Amino acid sequence: MNDLTDNMAVEPGASPEAAQHQGRQPGRLLIEAKGIRRSYKIGDRTLDILHGVDLNLRQGERLCLMGASGSGKTTLLNILGLLDKPTKGQVSVQGLDGWSLSTAKRAELRNNHIGYVFQFYHLFAELNALENTLLPAMLKHGFWAYQARKKQYKERALELLHRFGLEGRLKHRPGKLSGGEQQRVAIARALLLDPPILIADEPTGNLDRATGETVLQLLFQEQEQRNLGLLLVTHDESLASRCDRVLHMEDGIIQSASDQPTPG
Amino acid sequence: MYRYFLSARYIIMRPINWIGTLSIFVAVSALILILAIMTGFLEESRKHLRGHLSDLVVTPTFDIPIHSLRAYPSRDTQGILAEIEKHPGVVGAAAQLVYPGMLVPPHSERIMTNPNAMGMVMVNFLGVDIPAEYGATSLLEDLKKEVMVGPFDQRPDDLDDPFAYPEDYYPVEDARPRDPILMGEKLAAIWGMRKGSELELATATLDPETGAFLQAGNRRVVVVGTFRSSFNEMDLSRIYLPREVLADWLGRPGQYSQVVVKLQNYERDNKSIISDLRVDLSSAGYIHPDPEKPGFAEFPWELQTWENSRGSMLAAIENERALLGIMLGLVLLVAGFGVFAILSMMVSEKRRDIGILTALGATPRGILTLFLAIGGIEALVGMALGVLAGVTAAHNINGIEAWLSNAFGYQIFDRDIYYFDHIPTVVELSGIVAIASASVLTALIAAAVPSLRAAYLNPVDALRYE
Ligand SMILES: Nc1ncnc2c1ncn2[C@@H]1O[C@H](COP(=O)(O)OP(=O)(O)OP(=O)(O)O)[C@@H](O)[C@H]1O
Ligand SMILES: [Mg+2]
Repeated sequence: MNDLTDNMAVEPGASPEAAQHQGRQPGRLLIEAKGIRRSYKIGDRTLDILHGVDLNLRQGERLCLMGASGSGKTTLLNILGLLDKPTKGQVSVQGLDGWSLSTAKRAELRNNHIGYVFQFYHLFAELNALENTLLPAMLKHGFWAYQARKKQYKERALELLHRFGLEGRLKHRPGKLSGGEQQRVAIARALLLDPPILIADEPTGNLDRATGETVLQLLFQEQEQRNLGLLLVTHDESLASRCDRVLHMEDGIIQSASDQPTPG
Repeated sequence: MYRYFLSARYIIMRPINWIGTLSIFVAVSALILILAIMTGFLEESRKHLRGHLSDLVVTPTFDIPIHSLRAYPSRDTQGILAEIEKHPGVVGAAAQLVYPGMLVPPHSERIMTNPNAMGMVMVNFLGVDIPAEYGATSLLEDLKKEVMVGPFDQRPDDLDDPFAYPEDYYPVEDARPRDPILMGEKLAAIWGMRKGSELELATATLDPETGAFLQAGNRRVVVVGTFRSSFNEMDLSRIYLPREVLADWLGRPGQYSQVVVKLQNYERDNKSIISDLRVDLSSAGYIHPDPEKPGFAEFPWELQTWENSRGSMLAAIENERALLGIMLGLVLLVAGFGVFAILSMMVSEKRRDIGILTALGATPRGILTLFLAIGGIEALVGMALGVLAGVTAAHNINGIEAWLSNAFGYQIFDRDIYYFDHIPTVVELSGIVAIASASVLTALIAAAVPSLRAAYLNPVDALRYE
């Protein structure tokens, strides 16, 4: 894993399609997807969802993905996050071809380099907020290694949860948390191991406008501070102005990529 | 780390998991208890069978000539006894005359009214010599035992001369004196007889030369005492008489049909003494020659240990134990199915969690071991509790039985049916280890199927919907 982590230091941002947002420099390439196709076989019919998508995500870049329901956004996100294998095409994460790696290496990439935030929070009902946040660290280490680092991880989780205003909810299980609180725990979980990539699939889709706004602010704030590459799927056109780049998906391809955010 | 953490958490938070534990627990405790009882039965049976039979039995086949001698085996009682007692490992030998017959209890009108019940009991008449018999079998102890049935002491007045008439017995003047018999305590109870009761014995004799039916004989006898070996069943089918009385009645004065032998150390010596005796007795013309030697008719049963003669009974119990093992294996299978069912449910229920784990960086192998660990922990806990409960129950089975019998007013362990007055149990470490490991193994195999399903679940499908 160290070799991957070390990579993060190299390659200073020098990109042709550099994103200029609030004066930040375009970063190095985090995800590079080329010619992604995905089709599902249903009976004797094949359903083509993605017809060749190219997409790059850079360090410090806030990339928004929009499109009608069923246009294949989640499918694409799963592929970019190495959860789903494309029927055709190549996904490189941190310069490594995701699907030519071993299963264990790929799992390590997901664990250390990608943070996921889902529309439905997807917290463990059996664990409280703090334990849910700590889960990626537990996945990263074996029993003894984890025990040795437990203190640091706990401090880090507490710091995140405090920052997200959840200090009073540490021992609460998801069932006792509001949607906004659950999503904040999910973001804390995604950020625990300090991944360079954050993938969020409609993180506010299940929240009311005000709560969604706090969650988004939080997400953007962390993205900025940590200089993350954020890939955000949203239906909210008004968000476009706050993204470095907006991609529109239609019929399985990316129709338009706008570097200049449309004012909302 | 997450595997330990999550498996423990899942088990604690989902009480339904304890059903898997419960099924393993029930299987293990039942297996241990039943195996302990079966082993106890086997060992107790061996003890009892050994008590009432002598160590060795010599049963010459008198009516087949010995080839090399061109003669029938010798019927010289004193001779064969002397030949046997010569051996250093032998502590006692006694001649017995065994002959089948019937016991005709009083009120035998029953024969007429109920032909099915017969009104007669098939028994073996056992003509014995006192005190030689005492030196070779457990008869003395069996006569000494406290009577369990009925209010009266039925033991013989004088153990040195057990066939002596009881003090309060006065034979009817006109009849010839009744012959004395000793009968099983239970047999006496069944037919309502006690010390001093008179009854009739019947048998038929055959011509020793032609085998033709010679004559039926009846004899009135008097019960002079009862005995009880621990082997109830066997006590129902034998009646002791003085050997010379039986021999006279059968028209075979002085004859014997078998010699019973007691050894100093049966476990150690039985094989060597048997082979020595086989040589000596056959060369002296008492039994047929060594079956090991080719060219001769084989009569291995002429010289047997008590285990040989009870072999089928011992084997039956062993066999029962094996059969039980198979049945209890089925119990384990059911327990394994319990683990399988619960874990399958768990996996279906936790599809989403499995998807999240994959997204957070779990490998299929990690997820496999997570669910295997759930099955394993269930099994280990169930196994440990089961061993504890099984061993405890085995040690306290008689108390438990008494309590249950009391509570339900029904005698669960009917002492009349079995040969024992308590439920015998023997807890063997090897048995516990075998059962414990088999149960854990079964659970792990049962857990493997749903665990593999979990490991190869598509995370995308698992995460798709709320
Ligand atoms: N496992 C599958 N088998 C068959 N078809 C599938 C499968 N998964 C997704 N699809 C189809 O792929 C298409 C794209 O689905 P996807 O979830 O990517 O859409 P989306 O853009 O995320 O929509 P939404 O905005 O509603 O979340 C849909 O038509 C869906 O029915
Ligand atoms: Mg979607």
